[in-house]
Amino acid sequence: MSKGIFDGLKVCDFMWAAAGPITTKQLSDNGATVVKVESFKHPDSIRLGGPFIDNKPGINRSGFFADFHSSKLGMAVDMSHEDRLDIIRPLVEWADIVADSFRPGTMQKWGLGYEDLKKINPRIIVLSSSLHGATGPWSRHPGYGAQGAALAGIQHMTGWSDRPPATPKGAYSDSVSPRYSLTALMAALIHRERTGEGQFVELAQIEATVQLVAPQLLDLQVTGHEAQRSGNRKDGAIQHGVYRCTGDERWIVIECETEIQWRALRETLGAPERLDTARTIGPDSLDEAIAALTAPQDAFELSERLRAAGVPAAVAYKGSDLLEDPILEARDHFWPLHHEEMGTLKYNGPAYRFEKTPTVLRSASPRLGEHTEHVMTDLLGFSEADIAGFRDRGLLG
Amino acid sequence: MSDGKVALSGVRVIEISALSGAVCGRALADLGAEVIKLEPEGGEPARRDLPLIPIEGGEESASWIVFNLGKSSVTADLATDAGLAVFEALARTADIVVTDFQRMSLEEMDRLAAIARAANPAVVWAEILPFGRGHAYDHTPATDTTLQALGGHLYQNGDVDRPPVRIGVPVGLIQAGAEASNAALMAYYHALRTGEGQRVDVSVQECVIWTLLNTTMAWQILQLNELRGGAIRKERANQFFTRLVWPCKDGFVVFGPVGGGGGSARIKSYDALLKWMAEDGITDDILTSRDWNGDGQFFISQEDYDTVTDVIKRFIETKTLEELTTRAVAERILLAPINSLGDILVNPQHAARDYFQVLEDPLRKLSVKLPTNWARMSETPLRAPRPAPKAGAHTATYAINAQQTESAK
Repeated sequence: MSKGIFDGLKVCDFMWAAAGPITTKQLSDNGATVVKVESFKHPDSIRLGGPFIDNKPGINRSGFFADFHSSKLGMAVDMSHEDRLDIIRPLVEWADIVADSFRPGTMQKWGLGYEDLKKINPRIIVLSSSLHGATGPWSRHPGYGAQGAALAGIQHMTGWSDRPPATPKGAYSDSVSPRYSLTALMAALIHRERTGEGQFVELAQIEATVQLVAPQLLDLQVTGHEAQRSGNRKDGAIQHGVYRCTGDERWIVIECETEIQWRALRETLGAPERLDTARTIGPDSLDEAIAALTAPQDAFELSERLRAAGVPAAVAYKGSDLLEDPILEARDHFWPLHHEEMGTLKYNGPAYRFEKTPTVLRSASPRLGEHTEHVMTDLLGFSEADIAGFRDRGLLG
Repeated sequence: MSDGKVALSGVRVIEISALSGAVCGRALADLGAEVIKLEPEGGEPARRDLPLIPIEGGEESASWIVFNLGKSSVTADLATDAGLAVFEALARTADIVVTDFQRMSLEEMDRLAAIARAANPAVVWAEILPFGRGHAYDHTPATDTTLQALGGHLYQNGDVDRPPVRIGVPVGLIQAGAEASNAALMAYYHALRTGEGQRVDVSVQECVIWTLLNTTMAWQILQLNELRGGAIRKERANQFFTRLVWPCKDGFVVFGPVGGGGGSARIKSYDALLKWMAEDGITDDILTSRDWNGDGQFFISQEDYDTVTDVIKRFIETKTLEELTTRAVAERILLAPINSLGDILVNPQHAARDYFQVLEDPLRKLSVKLPTNWARMSETPLRAPRPAPKAGAHTATYAINAQQTESAK
């Protein structure tokens, strides 16, 4: 098998929660050796986020945590111990990249700010990602992705115009920012490859997320028009909506941007005159007419017929549909990986495919401290006696 | 930000795009790459995407302007031999070519990829497709909303008494563009080290799946399909509905005071909230009747949750956005205002970090501030915003450039 792009790349990974670990997962799944350093007194917070195996919370039982930690090694250290650098310093010397997503100030408190790290390893690249960013009056204000999305305008653009804004599923800024943080990290790695120079890369997850509404921010400044949430309506579309079908919570998206698509839609739904009339009356009437026609139909069958006629259509997939989706199956999106406490679960693979250097999810997420000894001996060269000494001093979990 | 040393100095990118490919090219341009757009005569169709804004001499797409800052534009008709020759000459000198499905069919991509890769084996060919490449669904029509649906996100958004509701901006396409920028750079890093170019394809559907965070695990582990929510939802595989959007005196905030994970930050946040409520004389027993964020936080009954949050909701309704935000930042309460777009423009945190940069675009007569400083790089800062190109503004420059390359050979 050909090697991954990052074969040989070494990462000391202090990332936690979602945004950070999703970023470093792209490194580990592409061949990098990623050592996730957790404080065993304060492990990664999403180990405490569901779903849990058998619905019983436990430090090694979270599927939420697991999905972001494929192919990583797990090491548990007491980061509050005054001698923590006895272990972390050699790890930083070993690493090409140090990554963290703590509240700003945490790494500095531990003697691991960028200036400290650069003294230990002058070629180091440091990636630091936080909700609000490392500087500014809100830098230490806590929050999760829902708060991040709210500040970035995502809720403002989501929901019905006659109702309060809706919070989209997920910690939304946690899923936008990894794409940008990885892009910046890659640029830093390319720069180091060409010049030998490391650097400090710092991102605010909210700033990455605001990129999604950048066009609306320009529009507002130039025209004074502030875009608003408008349900499923879309400016410029002939028709754009989500309609109920038969079955439990089955919904179909149908969208017509062109007159050709419109003609195909009215023929496929089988009531051309009624739809023409409804279109003339207005969008509410059109939605109502379409909903009446979709209601007795199977969403999957209707979607197939509309697509075949050239009309963009889609079933609103549930989680269970994703695991059975033929497209994702054909693309080998899911990776079954075995975990000692959680059994075999299908992990999400990446959104990209390399033609010549395939991504490989090599192992399930690490249990807390699962690879501490392996990292200490095989990667850092400590002896058994050294490790016993660290354990006696309470440094290792 | 600076116009000095940049990370992708000397990296040449050819972009043949609509929206998502342009987002990719924009990120690379910000990092210092030389990004050359290949457009048909008169400009690519995305220049007319909504919303349109008035500019000197007419109208142009706000989206197009924002995602094409700092690029060059060469016009060529790719349906002609002369146009293909222009493409080939550019591809010969390129490090990355990026394209997307809204601009070109798979067949057109294949035709151009074959030309580019024959001329330049080290080139990275990056393509953004609805479902990725290489299966029976390659030709299925797709849009941002259908992909929000097929990525499993749409189903989970919106009030339960109405249909699922989309996020009202093309989040799937934009995120796929951002994903393509990192995937293209990963492939370029490989090419830089080995001389081996390759194709990388990005699936918009899979990008949307990555916004779900725990949905596919929730099904596998609990056979649970999370029901959609709007202001209220069953969050993170909770068994009870939690309120996420809270009305206040003059707007809405996002807040998770009790229940359903969050660790020590949520415990401290709740303590700070209780302190504030006590200052206002609100000390209802229910607020401290149990450890709301400790053991058992995932198994609170709906009735208990509703009772405690009703007290909290009435308190929040007496406060303004400014009062709530100021106190939250000072006392680390896990609360944030739901910003309107106007609020984002005046946010003090953005101002303190110089996140918005001024774009001076004399040709369009625009002077605006844009959110361009999306990463701080100590040695190779992002470029300050430069205007998006007029269609074909650099055709002559690159024609000369290509001639020089030819004669140098």
